[in-house]
Order: sequence, then C-alpha cells, then structure tokens
Amino acid sequence: MIHTAKNCRFFTLLLLITAGLLFSLAAEYILPFDAYSQNLLQALQPPSAAHLLGTDRFGRDMLARTIAGAKITVFTALIITFLASSLGSLIGLFCGYHRNRLVTILLRLTDVFLAFPSMVFAIAAAGLLGGGTFNAAAAIMLVSWPKYTRLVRTQTLPLRQTEYIEAARMSGSSSWQIMFFHILPVIVGPICITAALDIGTIITEIAGLSFLGLGTAPPAAEWGSMMSGARNLLQTAPWTIFAPGIAIFITVSLFQLFADSLRDFFDIH
Amino acid sequence: MNKKTIFFTAALGIMLLLSGCSQNNSATTSPHSEKIFHYGTMAYGTAMQDAGINPHDTYCGWSTVRYGIGETLFRFNKEMKIEPWLAESANQLDDYTVKITLRNDITFSNGKKVTGNDVKTCLEDLLKKNDRAPHDLKIKNIIADGQTVTIQSSEKVPALLHYLADPYAAIIDMTAGEKDRIVVGTGPYVAEKVTDTEIDLKKNAHYWGKVQPKLDKIIVRSITDGDALSMAMQSGELDAAQGLPYASLSNFQDTNKYKINSAATSRVYQALMNYRTPVLQNNNVRKAIAMAINKDQFVSVLLNGNGVPAIGAFPDNMPFGRGLKAAPYDPEAARRLLAQAGYTERDADGYVLKNGKPLTLRWLTYTSRQELPLLAEYAQSALKEIGIKLEVNATDNYKDFLKRNEFDIYAKAIVTAPTGDPEYYFTSNVMSDSPYNNGAYNNPDVDHLCDQLRNTFDTNKRNELAIQIQQHILDDNAIIYTAFLKMSFVMKKNVTGLEAHPSDYYEITPELDIN
Repeated sequence: MIHTAKNCRFFTLLLLITAGLLFSLAAEYILPFDAYSQNLLQALQPPSAAHLLGTDRFGRDMLARTIAGAKITVFTALIITFLASSLGSLIGLFCGYHRNRLVTILLRLTDVFLAFPSMVFAIAAAGLLGGGTFNAAAAIMLVSWPKYTRLVRTQTLPLRQTEYIEAARMSGSSSWQIMFFHILPVIVGPICITAALDIGTIITEIAGLSFLGLGTAPPAAEWGSMMSGARNLLQTAPWTIFAPGIAIFITVSLFQLFADSLRDFFDIH
Repeated sequence: MNKKTIFFTAALGIMLLLSGCSQNNSATTSPHSEKIFHYGTMAYGTAMQDAGINPHDTYCGWSTVRYGIGETLFRFNKEMKIEPWLAESANQLDDYTVKITLRNDITFSNGKKVTGNDVKTCLEDLLKKNDRAPHDLKIKNIIADGQTVTIQSSEKVPALLHYLADPYAAIIDMTAGEKDRIVVGTGPYVAEKVTDTEIDLKKNAHYWGKVQPKLDKIIVRSITDGDALSMAMQSGELDAAQGLPYASLSNFQDTNKYKINSAATSRVYQALMNYRTPVLQNNNVRKAIAMAINKDQFVSVLLNGNGVPAIGAFPDNMPFGRGLKAAPYDPEAARRLLAQAGYTERDADGYVLKNGKPLTLRWLTYTSRQELPLLAEYAQSALKEIGIKLEVNATDNYKDFLKRNEFDIYAKAIVTAPTGDPEYYFTSNVMSDSPYNNGAYNNPDVDHLCDQLRNTFDTNKRNELAIQIQQHILDDNAIIYTAFLKMSFVMKKNVTGLEAHPSDYYEITPELDIN
C-alpha cells in the first residue's frame, strides 16, 4: 500500500515535470505574447488580466518570458546533468573496476576538482571562458562530473569482488561488458537519484552565473539574466524580479521532490 | 530542545532582526563631533578612467575638480559660459597669444602661494602626460612672470580659455609631487587617501575662497552597482549619491527625507559606426540603422523621461545645437534602404540576407553607465524589426575590443560640450586623426570645417561651423545621437550646497554642508 502511494507520488511529479517542459516548448505557439517582442508603450505594467505576471521595462510579457526561460534554464540544466553524470559515471566505473596508473591520475584529477568550492570554480571557469550560455554550461559541466566519479567508483569497488562478477569474468566477458552489463545496471539507481538532485543545483548555478553576467546574456529569457536585469526595479516593479525568482524556486523544489520520490521508487535507503 | 536553548535562539533571532532593520545613521556624526559627509558615486573608478586625482592622468582631472581637490584657471557658470576662477583676467594679445593674470590670493592646500611659475610647470606637465591636452591646447610656449602667464600657441586656438576650464587643466603644485596617488591642489578639500574605489578628503585649512569649506571630512565611495548605491542611500549609509539609475529615483520621492537636484547636461548617448566594417561603409545601411531607433520612446520609457531625445551632438539649448536634421524614425523606410543596399531576401527569422548571408553586427558598449545596456537591448530589438541581427557585447573591458577592432557599432556616453564650446568634441571625436574617433570616420569636408573652426574667433561663425559639421555627420549617419541625459543628485534633506551642474564637473564645493 505504502509502496503504491510512493509510486503514485513519483509518477505525479514525473507527469508534472514532463507537462511543464512540454508546455515551455509549446508556449510560443499557445501564448498570445512573444517573449522577445518589445512594446515600450506597455513597459512595466503590473500584473493584470492582460499580462498575468506584468511586463518588464521593455514591455515584454513576463509570463511569456518566464515560460521561455524554462526552455533555456531547465533544458540547459538537463543537458548538463546528463553529460556530467554520464562522463563522471564512465570515469568512476573505469576507476572502480581497473587498477592502473591511469586510474591513479584520474582519481587525483577528480580530487583536484572536488577540492574547490564548485560555484567559485564555475565562476572562475566561466570568467575565463567568457560569457554565453555554452561557456556557462561548460563551466558548470567542469565542476559537476567529479561527484559522479566518486560515487560510481565507491559503488563499483565492492561489486568487482563479488562472485557473479568473478563468474562473468571466468565466462570470458570483457571488462567493458562486465562494467556496462553487470555492474552499471546494479548502481544506476544511486546515479539517477544523484543526477535528479543535481538538476536543481545546476539550475541555480546557471541562473547564478547569468545573474553575475557570466552566463546567458540579454535579451535571452534566462531566469538568472532576467533577475539581474530587473535588479534595480525590485522596489518599483517587483514583479519583474519575482516572476523568474518564483519560477526558479518552484522548479528547483519540483526536482528536489522528484529526486526524493525517485529514491523511494528505487527503494534505496 | 530545552527552554534555555529556545530562549537564546529566540533572543538571538530578535537581535539579528533588529540589527538588520536598524538605520545606519552614523553618516554625519563621529566621536569628536566632526562633520563627516558620506558620498556615493557611480562616476568614479577605473572603468570611467578617472580613478585617481592627478589631473594629468587620463580623465582623473574630473575627480580632482568634482571632489573639490583642484580648481582650474577658468570655470563654467550654469549657462556654460566661462568665468575666471584661479585667474583674474585674460587678455588675447594676438591670434596666437593670450596673457592670463592670476589672482593674488590663491594658495595651494599646503599653504604655498600660487604663482605664474606654478601654473607654467603644471601646464607643461599636463602637455607631457595627457593624451588630449596637447591636441586641444596646441601650446608652443608658456612664459611666467610673477602673477601672469603668457601662453603662445603653435596654431590659432580660439577656445583656449575654454580648454583651460577642462578639469585636466586643474592647477596642482608640481613641486609637492605625487605621493601615494595624492596631489596638492587649491580646492576646498585635501585628499588624505586615494584608491581606485575611494577618496577620503579633509577640509583645506588654507583655502583661499571667501566661502570656507564647512565639512571636516568627506568620504567619496565608488559604488558602481546602481542597486547597491540606491540601497546605501536608503539605509542612511550615504548622505548623497550621484548617478543612481533612473529607475531608482522614484524611491526617493519622499520630500520629508530626501531631495533630488537635477540638471540637463550635454552628456549624450551616441552610437558610432565602425567604418572599417565593410557593410557599414554603405550609407544606406548606416541610415537604415539610424532610422530604426525610436529616440522618443527610448527617452520616455527606458530613461523614465530623464533625458531629451538628441538630434545632433549638442543639446538645442546651446547655440550650436540648433537647426539640425537627422534621419527620422521610420522602420519602413529603413527596410527599403536595406533592400537598396542589396539585402533583398530574408531568412526564416526575418533577418535580411545578401548572397545568402545575414546582416549581423556587433554592438559594443559598457555597463558602468546603467542605461547603455538598455540602449543596446532596445537597439537589438529595434534592428531586428528591420532585419538586422545585433550581437550585443556589454563589457567593461570594452577598450580591449576597441583596440582589437572587434566591434561594428560602439555606444558610449560622452559629454560633448565639456568646455562650453563645440570644438573639443569635434577635435577629439570626429576628425580623421581624433584620438577618440574609434569608428575611423573620415570625411575630408568635416576635417576641413573643423580646421576652419579651430581658426575662427568669431562666436557666431563658430556656431555656424559647428552646425555644418554636425549636419555632415548626420548626413553620413556616422554617429547616431540618441539622447541627452539629465544628471541627478539624491541627498538627504539636511544636505545643502550640492547642486547638479550642466558641465558635470562641479560636485563638492565649499558650499556643501550638512545641517
């Protein structure tokens, strides 16, 4: 019974997130306003029936921009999470299964990356690479993969000594076959949960970099960039900063809840 | 959790809350009852090239004069006409020679009397170090004799006295030298500490003026983030602030707490075309860009009405800023011009194409002037309307991009009549050999008229020439002048003597006081 309730929560959250993402993709065809069309005559209109979340200083509809922001912020976060978790897991799997000099080098490299506070490192990397969505994503990617390496290696180490792996080895399976077909399926749960938890963090990091001017640049409707552009309107037109701020809050909360329900779904304690 | 823990946690929370809510009212008092004035500005710093107070370095003279450390031989009144300051009078001996008589009662802040020789050595150092001064002043020889200084120019310089009112010509004591970035001037305040972000000043005990400085100390802090500046002002941390974003001015409408003092200036937001960019060598393209920008809307909406739409380089309250005609706002005509320039096709996003390539331009600007990024974002949308794709680069490293020629349009804010005379702007910005002609604009007619202007002493004729030059620039669509800005000071109600000046030079004066 409890198990069914947990599954129900997982599928509800999954449905909500999927629906939200699909809506953000289709929004430009559904909403009456374009996220990028300026109309200075409609600048800084408070929320009303015509503009549910008001307008910004260029007269752009805040609802349209906030939804368009999901397309940039969330999808970028999803791509980064996918790439970072895949790369980190691959390295972790390799380091956990093998014992050679390359493993030592890779592990020390991981330690180096883990030694820095990730956001500070991302800011430095984005600063060096220059602004833009791609560079910000690369910077976040750079600091996100090592945790997966550590996690997957830790999970792999005890497995490589188990009897079923020994059996696979004796039956002639190659290292890669063992890693991908016998170890990875066992540890995929923790990887997915960590990745799901990471999405929220990465969303805030993307928004943070854009807020600092190191990520997506205006006029792109990225949530951090939108908040940065509306900073000096906090007191006079608060809706311009609240809309993307609340969007970040809701999205990050949703992904955190989803990660939690994902753990229950995999039944990992 | 026991009761004690709950009590301590609650007490700590309340203390934190109260400390967070408290107003910092220490701005005007000190343990020894000194009058200390805390002043926040967005206009001081390395990005503005005025970090420092040696007037001979780049634009540091602005800081020297703005913050009451140094004074010039002549200054501008509110009508932007020059009047003597450290000088008593000036006599034009011939087209190349002017004799300036100094006041007899001027002392540097170290107590030393200012003589003709001090002015001579100071101006000679200026000519050696500053990049604009030699170009403007064209001084061949300076002869000092007691309290007089005779300046001989290599060419006719009708606006010489105007140039001597430029902050770079603030008179400092060269014998005192520069120690820890501090120079000795004649102003009502003396610098105690100078960094890239702060200038600490104290009263000049030897000030020569009739009105003596009233404040014991002034702390000038560079706060380049508009919100931080606004919040510092609201929290009571500052007594006055300069350069607040226009959007923040509405936070200071409570007349029981604040005063706002504004003045229209000749500071213009201009966007200059880079003639090295092949596509911008076509006047139809340049004109199309000019016609896509709605200056009225930019001023009324994005500047919150704190400005005036510009036509030429000077506001029309100046005699040389009238009777000009610029390309009007007309997006439809702009599209036709692009078609005439060969951009007859469009891609799926609506951008115009020529030989299958979209028309993409790079708009370079900086962020230390709050409204420049807004102009960039507005221009991006406005140009998209006519089919031009604009890539905005708003960076405070803009000088690197200028050096590397990595821009097509460069937008900046510039005071066009800092000397109350049009010549300065033309000679430093639009002549083919001007130091700030970043777009490599080269029109022999403009150069010829500028040369004529340099050699004309008659004011009416000078005004006429200035109008002709601007009309050439506008006809070439080499520079789009978007808006003239209003400068505003926000101050606490008890602050007096802080008034915005149309020249943008004079901020801290002996009259400044806190009551």
